[in-house]
Amino acid sequence: MDEETGTIIREGVPSVLNAFDEFALNLAVELKNEVEEDVEIVALSMGPPQAKEALNKCLAIGADRAVLLTDMVFAGADTWATSVTLSRAIKNIGKTDIVFMGQEASDGNTAQVGPEVAAHMGIPQLTFVTEVESVNNSHVVAKKETDEGFVRIKCETPVMIACMPTPGFEPRIPNIREIMKAKKKEYQEWSHEDLGGDPSEYGLDGSESVVIKTYSPPPKGEGIIVDDEPEVAVKKLMDFFEDEGIL
Amino acid sequence: MARTKLSDDRDLTEEQRLFKESLLEWAERNMPLDRVIKMNREGHPYPRELIKGLADLGVIMGTVPEERGGMGLTWKDQALIAEIIGYIDPSIATAAGFMAVETGWGFTIDRHANDEIRKKYVQPAIRGDKFIGIATTEPGGGSDVANFKCTGEKDGDEWVLNGEKTFISGVEEAKQIGGGYWVNVRTGEKVPGAAHKNMTAFFVPIDSEGLTPTEPYDDAGRNSISTGGFIMEDVRVPEEYMLGEKDKGFYYTMEGFDNARILIGASAVGVTRRILEEAADYIKEREVFGSPLAKYEGIQFEFVERYTEMEASRLMVNKVADMQDTRYDEEGWAERSGKAKTYSPTEIAKWISMIKYKVPHLAKDTADDAMHWLGAAGYSSEYIFETAWRGVMSYCVGAEGGANIQKIVIGRETLGKDYVPYK
Repeated sequence: MDEETGTIIREGVPSVLNAFDEFALNLAVELKNEVEEDVEIVALSMGPPQAKEALNKCLAIGADRAVLLTDMVFAGADTWATSVTLSRAIKNIGKTDIVFMGQEASDGNTAQVGPEVAAHMGIPQLTFVTEVESVNNSHVVAKKETDEGFVRIKCETPVMIACMPTPGFEPRIPNIREIMKAKKKEYQEWSHEDLGGDPSEYGLDGSESVVIKTYSPPPKGEGIIVDDEPEVAVKKLMDFFEDEGIL
Repeated sequence: MARTKLSDDRDLTEEQRLFKESLLEWAERNMPLDRVIKMNREGHPYPRELIKGLADLGVIMGTVPEERGGMGLTWKDQALIAEIIGYIDPSIATAAGFMAVETGWGFTIDRHANDEIRKKYVQPAIRGDKFIGIATTEPGGGSDVANFKCTGEKDGDEWVLNGEKTFISGVEEAKQIGGGYWVNVRTGEKVPGAAHKNMTAFFVPIDSEGLTPTEPYDDAGRNSISTGGFIMEDVRVPEEYMLGEKDKGFYYTMEGFDNARILIGASAVGVTRRILEEAADYIKEREVFGSPLAKYEGIQFEFVERYTEMEASRLMVNKVADMQDTRYDEEGWAERSGKAKTYSPTEIAKWISMIKYKVPHLAKDTADDAMHWLGAAGYSSEYIFETAWRGVMSYCVGAEGGANIQKIVIGRETLGKDYVPYK
């Protein structure tokens, strides 16, 4: 974070693939390998030009082509403007059966973009999905995590699936042959002009929320370790709470 | 405290950064440092699942053209892969067996072999299903070519090979999974003053009738891959198993050495970087007489001297890989590397000898320093230093050409042929 401007420092910072998105892409690639039909996986991202590197990784993992939505007009987008942009881009891509998305981003952690995309597209949504069990021409069966356990849901396509990595999940590692092959796959960059609509519908102007301040939490002080017999330890802790004004 | 990182990836291409990410991710899952140490304690053969894993990653023989099962990588790409392999496995067993040896020699075999050898041996080796390597040294001579005693005699449409080869990497692995070796034999009279003439290279399958592997050596280091030898008694190979033209084996062998040595230099850069990173974590934390070890000039200055030498070596390896990318003008190589042919093979060989001589010594000296910085802990196999020190020593003493032979090449190319020793 830049302490003075309250913005995220992006210069010189490598662009990495969001772990939730990587899981979603892994599910899509697994599914493509399992079904007999011709399937095309399109990796889509909105971000600065350096996001191309993360898309290259998607192509190496198994996406067939990639589109980067990059335009200063898109800058400063909140989840609403982001989902407007993404849903228009998906429409531009053409007939889509399943929109695989990460449950959330590992930086913002809002978990709003996926459901909003589904809403803009007028399609059903499945969230916290850990596994896609089967798919046919009209339906998908997925396993979804809840507070109580898992539920299996059958849902019509097209559908948006927000994916949640299971503990211990190991994403597939693209090999050098796949990385070299990815170089030859189709990669496009689209601006707001490719998506249509008015520039004011995108980015900061198109956002419904305003970020007043962004800051890093102050570092925590050093903790204390009380390692004594219970009676002594309790007394020390009580004294500590009193001194700190907690009790 | 955050782990010390001494690499800067900004000079890499996007693809190279992805290679690196994939290799490091794979290593974290399959070959963490404690496993490298354990593998070296347990000894050869090299675990088969790791050979397969490395092959699946595309680490072996990437420079072979795509149409023949490789990936059409440049030497710059392959040198980067070698650097990361050295970083992942500072014992250099992986580099010794599957990076430098198989890639350097496999690539050269592919260039001079016919389609049968390519299909039966080179391509399966790229997939990790066979092992191929080099068998040139003999009990009486390695660098001293005049003492080579192995012979090849033509009999109909076959060649009959006899003699003994020794100090060969990967014999046990080849026995286990199949494969074969580049073998040099004398196919004509020894020419006085030009002992390198009338040598011919053959590809010899490890399971050839009449070929008997000898007992593997108990080496000081790089123990997770075997070093052995074999005796050939009337081993028959078809005429088509000759590599290139008759009596020109020495020249092809020098080409193979060049290809392997680049990758050894690059691997040794990776070994040095890993040693420095691991040591840095320790000397920044460990307090002695009230201060971290890293605050004492005696240690800090040695550390930065080695670090500086490591970065200088990396630049040198990059330059050499760039030079090598201009070497081959067939098979669309210039198109692949985007560079015109600029240097003669002997000029390139000089630079290759410089990194082959210098960088393994740097890695060995850095491991030596690190053991001094850490004291008893550094000398124990709890840390990687002693494993690295023992392993990389093999490239200082002789593997892929001894240090003094490299100096003779450098001397010949700088001072002139009139000053070549022993002539």
